[in-house]
Amino acid sequence: MSVLIIVLGLLAGAYAVALLEDRLTRGSFAPAAPLLAAAALLARESIVTRKPDRLLFETAPVLLLIAALLAAAVLPLSPTLIVADLATGGLFINAALAYVLVALLMAGWGPDGAYAMVGGWRFLGQVIAYSMLIVMPITAVAIRAESLLTTAIVGSQEGWWNMFYQPLGFLLFFIASLAVCFLPPFDRPSAEGELAAGVEAEYTGARLAILRLGRMVLVVSLAAATSVFFLGGWLGPWLPPWVWSALKVLAVAALMLLAGYYLPRVREEHLLAWCWKLGIPLALLNIFIVGVMVLAGL
Amino acid sequence: MNPDLLLALITGAALFGIGLYGVLSQTNLVMLMMGIELILAGALVNLVAFWRFLHADSYAGQMFVLIVMTVMALEMAVGFAVALARFRARGSVEMEEAQELKG
Amino acid sequence: MQTFFIGFFGLAAIVFAVAVFRTSSMMRSALALLFSQTALGALFLALQAEFLGVLQIMMMATEMSIMAIFMVMFMMDPGGLGGMDMSHQKRLSMIAGLGAVMLVSAIAAYTRWQELASLSQAAAADEQIRHLGRELLGRSMLVFETAGITILTAMIATTAVAVKVPAENASHES
Repeated sequence: MSVLIIVLGLLAGAYAVALLEDRLTRGSFAPAAPLLAAAALLARESIVTRKPDRLLFETAPVLLLIAALLAAAVLPLSPTLIVADLATGGLFINAALAYVLVALLMAGWGPDGAYAMVGGWRFLGQVIAYSMLIVMPITAVAIRAESLLTTAIVGSQEGWWNMFYQPLGFLLFFIASLAVCFLPPFDRPSAEGELAAGVEAEYTGARLAILRLGRMVLVVSLAAATSVFFLGGWLGPWLPPWVWSALKVLAVAALMLLAGYYLPRVREEHLLAWCWKLGIPLALLNIFIVGVMVLAGL
Repeated sequence: MNPDLLLALITGAALFGIGLYGVLSQTNLVMLMMGIELILAGALVNLVAFWRFLHADSYAGQMFVLIVMTVMALEMAVGFAVALARFRARGSVEMEEAQELKG
Repeated sequence: MQTFFIGFFGLAAIVFAVAVFRTSSMMRSALALLFSQTALGALFLALQAEFLGVLQIMMMATEMSIMAIFMVMFMMDPGGLGGMDMSHQKRLSMIAGLGAVMLVSAIAAYTRWQELASLSQAAAADEQIRHLGRELLGRSMLVFETAGITILTAMIATTAVAVKVPAENASHES
């Protein structure tokens, strides 16, 4: 039951994200546009490139979608609305997000196209930069909750949301989550202007529809993760828990898209340098501060 | 005899054997390292199986697994550094062409 | 049920491991190794070691992807379209590999494991994580710290080996 609700919720979220992205990039607001675009993609011919690695080419879009769905599986929308409340929830979401990289490498290598391959390897460079900034803020969150259970993590934010308790971690996690779903400031793997859409370049028809859907769901999953880890998940006055979850997820998703709209693109080597020279020390500092605060009983 | 334990141990043994075959038969340094990864993976399976079926109350067993995972990551990092240095110097990491490394 | 899952994921890991050395496309080879390790992670989950299983699945995804880029960089024929043979002493290796499997399996089959066993029930996953944490930062802290120092040493050594010597310093050293 909760599986169905969560999947439907993710799809609705993906639809909202598509609408928002349309609004930001084209300035138009047509509620039917994403559905029409999807229908058009499904009906269009699906071209296969010359000498592709068929296995990787076909698997990649599906794997991206599965990884995004699995990441959402451990995130609670309300105290009971969760697919699997794993004892290792905070670690599991990292494991699921790691497969985004595998999917993009496959999508890059599979079609036997230069632009796609460059896009795939670029994402590998990004992963090495941002992956620690996903793991370390979650570590600090788990320190405060004294548990890796995502429900316990939300429960630990009764007093102060983690956004205010550890603003540094929130900032780093937010930036890293933009890089995970290769949204605009970090969209070099699928840069439209310069790489002819990178990993998406050789995909057409139904496969491209799945690839795009996977990315939208990924954005929603990351927004849900930000909401659960830093914005207190379902916590909030007056309204029922699931409404709060939905509102927070949508707000975070909108913020992610807006950030991409206003920031300049970052090249992978600059991202690497900043993440390793500035981001990781800051993340360690965040863990230290949270540890001290927890020991002090704040 | 616990069949689950035996099954897990045989999996470990098979991975070890495949890894050994890879290490002995491949000529490229990077492929060789994949063989080593498989050998270490075989060791991992055995450690987890021993923890689960023999000493489920001793968490030092799980810690051993963490150490082996660290070793896997380190082996890769150091191996790639060596491969990179060799590739810069000689333009290939084929081990057949590396006879001069024989002491 | 547990037996079935152990067998299934074990078999998957072995099949993918064989595929690593059977294909000549480097990308497929690296991904086969990745999925072999992922199957092992699932096997750990079947063995009720939840933390280790999830950790294995997470670490290997990134590790093997990095392996993939190095293989594509260093192989002469990364796509495997030329059909080059990249192996030597196949017979010897095959014999050694099969011999090792037989020997280790025989040892596993003929050891009397019951006499060594102390407990057959694993704790619940959250209990396990708590115990593992206490072990890591308690009795085994020194070992754990040593691993950390080893990582640091390896990081420094790796960087020192891999970084290109700048041209103006190169003349001094040679």
